[in-house]
Amino acid sequence: MGAARLLRYLLRRILQAIPVVLGVVVLNFLLLQLAPGDAATVLAGEAGGAPAEYIQQLRERFGLDKPVPVQLAVYVKNILVLDLGYSFRNASPVLPLILGRLWPTLLLMGTTLVLSVGGGVLLGLFAAVWVRSWKDHVISLLAIISYAMPLFWIGLMLILLFSIKLDWLPTSGMEDAAAFYEGWERAADIAKHLILPAVTLSLFYIALYARLMRATMLDQRGLDYVTTARAKGLAERQITIRHVVRNALLPVVTVAGVQVGGLLGGSVVVESVFAWPGLGQLAFQSLFARDLNLLLGIFFISSCLVVVVNIIVDIVYILLDPRIRVG
Amino acid sequence: MRKLRTAIVAAVVLVVSAIAGSPASAQKPGGTLVQITQPEPPNLAPYISTSAPISQVTAKIYDGLLEYGFDLKPKPSLAESWQISPDGKTVAFKLRKDVKFHDGKPLTAADVKFTIMEVLKKVHPRGINTFRDVTDVETPDDFTAVFKLANAAPYMLAALSGYESPILPKHVFGQGDIKTHPNANQPIGTGPFKFVEWRRGELVRLDKNPDYWRKGLPYLDRIVVRFINDEATRTAALEKGEAHVAGFGAVPYNDAKKLAQLPSIEVTTKGYEMISPVVELLINTKKAPLDNQKVRQAMAYAVDRQFVIDNIWFGFGKPATGLISSNFAPSGLYTAEVTKYQVPDGIERANKLLDEAGFPRKDGGIRFEIVHDITPYGPEWQRFGEVVQQQLAKVGIKATLRYEDVATWLKRIYSDYDFALTSNFLYNLPDPVLGVHRAIHGKLIRQGTVFVNGSQWSDPRADELMDKATIEPDAEKRAEYYREVQKIAVAASPIIWVFELNFPTVINKRYKDVIASPLGIYANFATAWRE
Repeated sequence: MGAARLLRYLLRRILQAIPVVLGVVVLNFLLLQLAPGDAATVLAGEAGGAPAEYIQQLRERFGLDKPVPVQLAVYVKNILVLDLGYSFRNASPVLPLILGRLWPTLLLMGTTLVLSVGGGVLLGLFAAVWVRSWKDHVISLLAIISYAMPLFWIGLMLILLFSIKLDWLPTSGMEDAAAFYEGWERAADIAKHLILPAVTLSLFYIALYARLMRATMLDQRGLDYVTTARAKGLAERQITIRHVVRNALLPVVTVAGVQVGGLLGGSVVVESVFAWPGLGQLAFQSLFARDLNLLLGIFFISSCLVVVVNIIVDIVYILLDPRIRVG
Repeated sequence: MRKLRTAIVAAVVLVVSAIAGSPASAQKPGGTLVQITQPEPPNLAPYISTSAPISQVTAKIYDGLLEYGFDLKPKPSLAESWQISPDGKTVAFKLRKDVKFHDGKPLTAADVKFTIMEVLKKVHPRGINTFRDVTDVETPDDFTAVFKLANAAPYMLAALSGYESPILPKHVFGQGDIKTHPNANQPIGTGPFKFVEWRRGELVRLDKNPDYWRKGLPYLDRIVVRFINDEATRTAALEKGEAHVAGFGAVPYNDAKKLAQLPSIEVTTKGYEMISPVVELLINTKKAPLDNQKVRQAMAYAVDRQFVIDNIWFGFGKPATGLISSNFAPSGLYTAEVTKYQVPDGIERANKLLDEAGFPRKDGGIRFEIVHDITPYGPEWQRFGEVVQQQLAKVGIKATLRYEDVATWLKRIYSDYDFALTSNFLYNLPDPVLGVHRAIHGKLIRQGTVFVNGSQWSDPRADELMDKATIEPDAEKRAEYYREVQKIAVAASPIIWVFELNFPTVINKRYKDVIASPLGIYANFATAWRE
């Protein structure tokens, strides 16, 4: 399989994604019209009341006085040239608002993904190797517990333990709010702030992957190719690492791809508990403020992200399993 | 040995008395104060939005013409003196000559004129009302601003703080469209702190303004305003000392009680005297059977105000007697001489009134059913709704609770009038014209405008009195008008004024003089200092 072929494949996938993303944008736009109340009332409400002239002024500024199809047409036209519009509530264009929040989200997502896939795969692997021993039971029990506990509660308990009682880690935020470190000191500070939210968010997924990995490992071990390998005289260790794990990773990669989409939304709770300045919180606030431009912008960026991740997942498949070809 | 000990004791006594005797000498410069503001402000443009959190940040950046003491009397700020003509239609402000904006340009009367006439009067949600009678601001010289008014506007002098009416630099905000101005989130004022950066979702950083016109101030080097969405985390950050001050319900009431036990933390309810929030139950007086005054009075009798304060707001409140907060007692605007609903035999009176109104108890002791909407501002409001439900049940009114998000709720109450009874709270602000008229004036029954007369009740006599009070320069006469308005409105009971909410402000004890104004966290913190 040549590089040219892969490139062609990528190009086709990207072209296919454009109508998908546009469809998502239109659908979101229409769905959001169903929410009662509009940005002007919320803004006036936040202001503790305002004269009718003011609310009318706001509607005109936001373009809310125009009929819905016109608003939609204007929005889609702008999206096509990647103009995400202006958030009146935040008194700022939408794109820099989202970009400013994107990297904390990606940092948290990336760390969580590495922690949860890494941790989950290892735990699942050990559980499968030690199947039905006490170690397997301990791992399974821990997995069930962290799977069942609500995220916000785990977060608060970790804060109570590690920040308040032990005084090892900061309670919240992404950086020390009083210090304003630069350079490496800043990186170290961010890493320190990252630990609790990443661990909290990872626990659930570690449990998920551990269980998935264990189950597929056990499945695979009964298959013919393992018997063949064993007949070939390969050591148990080699069979596990070179054959079984590689095959068992495929479903994990699939779920991890789905998880990225879920992480964008699921991190709202963790971002909120740890005051992490990510996209989830921004989406949450803009929904309640009916800040449609901003919300649609976030949906747009997230759907692009999901599309990109899906393509990456497909490529990882090819690398893991040579039987899968780009067609 | 004994001599030495005596000497040490003497020295200690000397030092202690020196500190105690001259508190001013203890104030030292330096330090960073971390303030928690909840929720994060949508923008930093207090001239166009009065969304509650904005000015907790911007009041440190923008000064106003005046400041206020705890007696609510005006004090000089950017204006060093002012003169009001006998008819109240001319107010002349003398500006300080040594004031510079954060970009180094001097403040002149042209900035004041621009701010009032071009910005606040046109686009500020409350300024449209506050400055509606200002026909012009004359600037005979660079440091005199003369407000020309169509009518006397006694309330205006109470609304000139940096919180309510921030003074903007004309050379910045005069360029381009004020509604989408690029400096909306890059504020430039004359205040003690300069804007440095805003990391969205995280913090706003303000650094000391070294050229502040009050020499030697501010004491603090920096203020960082942090945004933490989760209430338990906010409490944890204060407990750990990562954050040092939080107010306006940012800390849950029960957590405020808990934090107050810590040796490092103090909790105060001072600093809301110019805000005066009053918790109320808003009745739709156009909807049967609530259009019946006796029914509304009965409901007012049924609500046990003290129970609500003690059990839901953890004691942070005081029963309200009517529409005007008792914070206005010093100026005589407040009176307690109105129909008293908080009485020991409230339930009996309520039952009697409901019988008289023609709503006898039917199956299951129920007289009639209503839906009670809950204001969507947090868990305590939900519990408040449950208590109201129980208390109304005692007099035979069955209430079903409904909880919606802010936008939906605002639309239901103020645009559709599709409600019977809802909880709510309204700020009295520094003057009844600004904070109270909107709730009960007939002219303010405006469908689609939020936080105005949602009960749709009005009374010609009350309207007339409020109109007179608006333009009455004589303080005693004004007070008389308002006392009568309170009697009329409380008797008609279009709103059940439940209690005056005393927000707790949580302060780390290392920081002193943080709350130094009736505007509390909405003040500029110039004199706050760290031990």
